[in-house]
Amino acid sequence: MPDVKMVNVTIDGHVVTVPDGTLVVEAAKLVGIEIPVFCYHHKLDPVGACRMCLVEISPGPPVAQAGCIRPVADGMVVKTQSAMAVQARADILEFELVNHPLDCPVCDKGGECPLQDFTFRHGYPTSRIDGPRLHFQKPIPLSPNIALDRERCVLCYRCTRYYDEVAWEQELTVAERGVHSVIASQFDQPLTSNFSGNIIDLCPVGALTSRLWRFESRPWDLHHTPSVCSKCAVGCNVTLWQRRGQLVRVTSRENDDIDEGWICDRGRFDYTDVNDPARLRVPAVHGSKTTWAVALNTVADGIKGKGSKLGISLPQDLTNEEAFLFRRLLDGPLRGAKVKMHGRTALPAPSGEQLMIKDIDDARVIIIVASDTENDVPIVNLRVKKAVSKRGAKLIVIHPDAVDLDRHRETVHIRNQPGEAAAEVRKLADHELLHEPGGPVAILYGDGRGSEDAAGLVAACTELAAKVGAKLMPLYRGTNERGSLELGVAGWDSLDGVEALLSWGPPPTAGVPASVKFHAVWDHLPRPEHQNASVVLPATSFAERQGSYTNLEGRVQFLRPAVDAEAPLKESWDVLCELAAALGLPLDYVGIFPIQREAAKAFPALAALAQPPSPEPEPVPVLMGPARP
Amino acid sequence: MAEQRGTVGGPVLTEWFGRANLHKLEVYEKLGGYEGLRKVVTGMSAAQVIDEVKASGLRGRGGADFPTATKWSFVPKDHPGPKYIVVNADESEPGSAKDRYLMENSPHALIEGAAIATFAIGGHQAWIYIRGEYDLPYEKLRDAIAEAHAKGHLGDHPFGTDYPLDIRLYRGHGAYICGEETALLESLEGKRAQPRSRPPFPAIKGAWGQPTAVNNVETLSTVPWIIRHGGAEYAKRGTEKAKGTRMVTVSGDVQKPGNYEIEIGVTYRHIIEELAGGPFPGRKVKVFWPGGSSAKVLPGSMLDTSTDLDGLKALGTMGGSGGIIVMDDSHCVVKGAARLLRFYAHESCGKCTPCRVGSNWAVRTYERILANEGSQIELALLDRVQQGLQGGRCLCGLGDAAGWVIQSTMNHFRNEYEEHCLHHTCSVEGALIHA
Repeated sequence: MPDVKMVNVTIDGHVVTVPDGTLVVEAAKLVGIEIPVFCYHHKLDPVGACRMCLVEISPGPPVAQAGCIRPVADGMVVKTQSAMAVQARADILEFELVNHPLDCPVCDKGGECPLQDFTFRHGYPTSRIDGPRLHFQKPIPLSPNIALDRERCVLCYRCTRYYDEVAWEQELTVAERGVHSVIASQFDQPLTSNFSGNIIDLCPVGALTSRLWRFESRPWDLHHTPSVCSKCAVGCNVTLWQRRGQLVRVTSRENDDIDEGWICDRGRFDYTDVNDPARLRVPAVHGSKTTWAVALNTVADGIKGKGSKLGISLPQDLTNEEAFLFRRLLDGPLRGAKVKMHGRTALPAPSGEQLMIKDIDDARVIIIVASDTENDVPIVNLRVKKAVSKRGAKLIVIHPDAVDLDRHRETVHIRNQPGEAAAEVRKLADHELLHEPGGPVAILYGDGRGSEDAAGLVAACTELAAKVGAKLMPLYRGTNERGSLELGVAGWDSLDGVEALLSWGPPPTAGVPASVKFHAVWDHLPRPEHQNASVVLPATSFAERQGSYTNLEGRVQFLRPAVDAEAPLKESWDVLCELAAALGLPLDYVGIFPIQREAAKAFPALAALAQPPSPEPEPVPVLMGPARP
Repeated sequence: MAEQRGTVGGPVLTEWFGRANLHKLEVYEKLGGYEGLRKVVTGMSAAQVIDEVKASGLRGRGGADFPTATKWSFVPKDHPGPKYIVVNADESEPGSAKDRYLMENSPHALIEGAAIATFAIGGHQAWIYIRGEYDLPYEKLRDAIAEAHAKGHLGDHPFGTDYPLDIRLYRGHGAYICGEETALLESLEGKRAQPRSRPPFPAIKGAWGQPTAVNNVETLSTVPWIIRHGGAEYAKRGTEKAKGTRMVTVSGDVQKPGNYEIEIGVTYRHIIEELAGGPFPGRKVKVFWPGGSSAKVLPGSMLDTSTDLDGLKALGTMGGSGGIIVMDDSHCVVKGAARLLRFYAHESCGKCTPCRVGSNWAVRTYERILANEGSQIELALLDRVQQGLQGGRCLCGLGDAAGWVIQSTMNHFRNEYEEHCLHHTCSVEGALIHA
């Protein structure tokens, strides 16, 4: 990293020292001064379109200047509260409101809306707007999940710029011009991108809203819980929003090491099962409701001493704590059982130094082998796009089919025959891109969804990494696949021929084997496969679970329950302890913390569990400028 | 045929106008054309060319009035990639038709000038972004570029040297905003024509992210003459600070509207009353736009204002693109301003808030005034909107220009606005029809 020159800037009398090139709006944040913005977003390139951030800058011409496109210079004096700047911003806010429908009382954004807040803090106290406002047809369903209200839109272009810069999609654009400009999907077709939901978070007004949450509740009625997404192995940080025991919204929670504030549509919209009225809540044996004690004893009787005749199907999103307890069972009464984990790759447990997600930013060459990153590890896919389009990394993809990364004109796509990826990787050592100097090389590999020989591929990638000095990242698919691999429970056994089956989570992908005589189910939703099950145990969903996940780079992150697991629903660690007792293994934990402490001692990879963060998140300071004079 | 009166030191741009088939290479060359380019590529360095143009004092004729040589010198000399000259031939300023006139009559002068400019910035490629509606100028330029290529004046070895020079034509997409230099670059790249935020300026990051100098047609058409006769000769014309001659287009209520080449420093009275024949009998000049619709208006009482660019700046207006629009005393200023505001609202690209919303808000206010629904509120509102459109609020000059129309007409003709708003009459055009 070259030495960055530091410069001194004076903002409203506060002197702040920042790296040269910092934008005025960012420098102002450091001294707690709010310069309002609509179009500016710290993860998007500045555009200077909305003109909300007007300030007075000297030296410079005696006109208001946009702070979001202006880098600081040494000795610059910024005034956000001079008469000129205050009037300029008030003028802009008045313009923004000329055609705004002011339907705040029914708007989903009301309460967390920058347009409302800025109008209070920076706008004129009275309105001179009379006469009719412009009207547009509304709402426009942009996709099954997103609604567009063109009247509320302030045309900040965050959504279209995000689509263009970050997601590399071409589905969202601006139609018409002048005051009739509207955001529109390309050819009015529904959005299909797996990254579309982020435009809801980006929208500074209520123009883009989630159709799942639309008109459900006001933001101030919600309780929010910082947690981790359970849909894939990336481990994006999310905020879960709960109201009256219902999970009503999932939004991103920025963590620059992992997600940079983006989440995929699976993580954002795939939560309605939590509120399903048909959720399983009471244990049942042979179809009739019973107590946990009876049900767990029945399960214990059915699976005890079966050895290799017992099959166990594990969910992909079991926590490290559950995996740790399960490992105890496998080492004890259930020794010899065949275990198959859902949705996992064929990749082995990682070894050696790994590439972290944030290291992708600085890679010079990125090689992606045998993985459809858009669907397997969506947010890693965005990180790769950022490295390529904003930081000039070169990209080599080895995959049999077209992938969305092909949209960059410089992507080198090597189309291999399925199963031949390892051979292509070996050929890469002589590739011209890998011989240019400057910056590290990143190799990301998957298992081609089972089409590749995982062991051979890992060997080929490791060999290449040693030759060119690259770091490796295995692209696991299962949410806690890496944690389960480290704990040794992520089985890959065939369940054919087992006599007893404990099916935890969704039923086995290959179906329930015909040989099964005793079938115990532990799931949160009723499914057709439960028809002939002997025992059905209700499970918690991701929103009710506590514990931790290890993401694909090995980072341990904590889940927090947004929704209470109301009795008779029991937390999984509790159920596992009781099952163990019924099987004759005395596991006696009073809560999840002793489990975490013990797991931390037993497994170095889980050392982070020794000190779980405090349950309450640290308060984020609210940045507020001085009041309007 | 060009009107060449009013040019004390002899015409520059229209020197050869009136010769038959000036648009043909052989005619142009026989008169001395392409001598400048030959001189430049065979015997001058880029710095010498810039010095010569600097000595002439030539300033951009597209409206911004920026010294041409300085603009070229901003283009980095050690840039490793390509550098471009982009010719702004998207003449869409209401009241201006000078570039069209130049391109139709003497396309080779533009081509020669563009080639010299390309050499001066150390580039090899020039683009001419020509307004989409300009059919005849397009055809003339297209044929002229082909002639120049065939003759070997452009191409890999112009005049036998090893300095490749190429010029390509690109037809515009029909929007006023395409004449704004950064929007023009966006459009040239095939994107939606919307201005970019500056910095970075085009000289550092222009077309396709490469250093680019954007010049007006008239500016570049002047360059060959400067190279042929020397910068000092050009600098003899004009005023002390604003050198040379320029084209003006006179339109509106005059007897002989048209394009005229004038020496900078003559008065508007000279242009309007002598060159353009003055207003129709029995009429007086009531108001005129001194430099295209984007310049603040001046009342008829200020006809003796000089065309000196700095003098105009001191008056708060500008020489702009040289489009002089004249309105006589039979027309209502409020209606005129309303018509212009409709133009600006229609042509607003929609990127920045004040211009997108403010121009439309002003139009709706004017509509109420002209429908006799005006009051003190509308007067105050127009004043508020024009303030909101100016003073750095907008991303480019279009919004400011819309504000200037309101501000300057209200400034000089507040009585007419008050008649409309407060008394619902118009003393100029009689009682309003809707009254």
